[in-house]
Amino acid sequence: MTRAASWAILLLGITYFVLPLLGMVEFSLSMRRGEYSFDAYAAVLADPQFRQTFSYSVVMALLTIVFGILLVVPTAFWVRLKLPRLRPVVEFVTLLPLVIPAIVTVFGYIRLYNTSSWLPLTGTIFGTNLLLMFGYAMLSLPYMYRAVDTGLRTIDVATLTEAAQSLGAGWVTIIVKLILPNVLVAVLSGSFVTFAIVMGEFTMAALLNRPAFGPYLQLMGANKAYEPFALATIAFIITWACMGLIQLVTRFTKHDKAGR
Amino acid sequence: MSFLTISHLEKSFGVTRVVKDFNLDVEKGEFISLLGPSGCGKTTVLRMVAGFESPSAGNITIEGREVSSLKPNQRNIGMVFQAYALFPNLTVAQNVGFGLRVKGVPAREIAARVEEMLALIGLPELGDRYPFQLSGGQQQRVALARALAPKPQVLLLDEPLSALDAKVRVSLRNEIRAIQRELGITTIFVTHDQEEALSMSDRIVVMHQGVAEQVGSPFEIYNAPATRFVAGFVGTLNTLDAQVLDPATGRVKLGENELTLGRAVPPGEATLGLRPEMLRLGAHPGEAALTGTITELDFLGSVIRLRIDLGGQKLAVDLFNTTRQAPPKVGETVSLALNPADALVIGA
Ligand SMILES: Nc1ncnc2c1ncn2[C@@H]1O[C@H](COP(=O)(O)OP(=O)(O)O)[C@@H](O)[C@H]1O
Ligand SMILES: [Mg+2]
Repeated sequence: MTRAASWAILLLGITYFVLPLLGMVEFSLSMRRGEYSFDAYAAVLADPQFRQTFSYSVVMALLTIVFGILLVVPTAFWVRLKLPRLRPVVEFVTLLPLVIPAIVTVFGYIRLYNTSSWLPLTGTIFGTNLLLMFGYAMLSLPYMYRAVDTGLRTIDVATLTEAAQSLGAGWVTIIVKLILPNVLVAVLSGSFVTFAIVMGEFTMAALLNRPAFGPYLQLMGANKAYEPFALATIAFIITWACMGLIQLVTRFTKHDKAGR
Repeated sequence: MSFLTISHLEKSFGVTRVVKDFNLDVEKGEFISLLGPSGCGKTTVLRMVAGFESPSAGNITIEGREVSSLKPNQRNIGMVFQAYALFPNLTVAQNVGFGLRVKGVPAREIAARVEEMLALIGLPELGDRYPFQLSGGQQQRVALARALAPKPQVLLLDEPLSALDAKVRVSLRNEIRAIQRELGITTIFVTHDQEEALSMSDRIVVMHQGVAEQVGSPFEIYNAPATRFVAGFVGTLNTLDAQVLDPATGRVKLGENELTLGRAVPPGEATLGLRPEMLRLGAHPGEAALTGTITELDFLGSVIRLRIDLGGQKLAVDLFNTTRQAPPKVGETVSLALNPADALVIGA
């Protein structure tokens, strides 16, 4: 292929992605007639519902990340250490959320945990929040698990574990002091993906009727003209900030040449 | 009772018996090597002592206490691995102090002990480095310091020098032995390198297919190998088929040569073991003489290695290189002298 043709294709691609974005940003800035302004943003930020839903989702995202780390790091570690033959199976299970639509999962949740079930999680606000967090954790599982598992591949898990054991360390010490620090970069990138997923998630939050940012975006989109575009721009910036942070933490780490 | 006792130790993986009736008594402060070819079960024995594998049968006691039921982190055993296994996220000082920190030793004591250990391994300046900033030899020294810092009862080393290049290997070998002597720590050292085992150990256990074939000092193992395997594995050995002419005096026929060993041998066929350095060129009074033809000559510097045909049987002979004597030539027929008492009669 000639140079010019490659450039043409690249340009076409850029146009395809960037033009709608530019349009979105441009429109979000044109609330005031005849000039660009941040009026739409000001309106959004002044909306108490925005602040409520936004902070609800941020808190949920952080809790999901903590839960995800507690679930995934020990699991991935244990599978690598003791059940290496089960790795493909576990990997397959962690990929299921990509195949099963969130709506299916959430209906399953509602059936399993409704007020007349053996574990009536949906009966209380706290229970519903918990359920939503589990749902979020599940959605982020494919990314979190892969990130951590890839991180574990860079160290000799078995030998390091034995070295620590011979020095008197128990499982908790091994996971907290050795495994976690050595997969920190992987955990952080998994965390940022999780954050981005939770901030934008609509289906689960809407069906469990929780005041999250995703349903709020949808609500605004249905009822306002300029504000949804300001919101979309904000959401877009959050996502890209997460991606940028992943790049950053991957680059800065002092023992990245970790021996084996 | 010995400091460390291993009795009737067995290990099977599935249907394969990897360690068979392994017995060993180790005295306090002793340096023992497990020597054998790859796959003979050395690591498995060591891992059972450390607690990473549980024995299929048998007992391990340390200072009279049965340890088989203890988890690895309850055994107070120091371990050094072939792959160094330093914690990549911790500095050298943190690595060395890890065992003490796990035990809850106060920070100031840890710092003092770490300093002491780094001085012991000759790397007092490197406490703040990370493992990836060290050479292989330095990493293995740090691994040794890390294993020794919590004052373990027993030190286990699994081929700790195999990943290093030859020069470092020899100097670290001496260093490990010196540190072991200084601390008087009971040590089991696994290696497949006979030179390492011979030069470092108080006693050597030669292993073959999961069995301890012989336990003895380096001198005994080399000079009086108990089995054909030990004789062949440790050092270079010529094995020669001989016909016993007189069992009482040990008169045997070796190709076209005859010699008298001066001790009784079983009648029939015998296998003689001759080290290359047992033979000398020329006739010497009071020694047995063999005649053969030189078929090959390798000049190795301080040593000249000859291959000699003794009428059908091949024999390697090492001569010291001296400037006073011109080396023999290929094709020459030479006379070789041998002290018959040196010759090994190898059993099964
Ligand atoms: N976890 C295991 N499962 C199955 N077989 C094993 C295991 N560990 C070791 N083996 C087998 O046991 C034998 C002895 O291994 P090992 O003790 O590592 O030998 P060495 O250290 O002397 O080279 C080998 O044949 C090896 O394949
Ligand atoms: Mg081994």
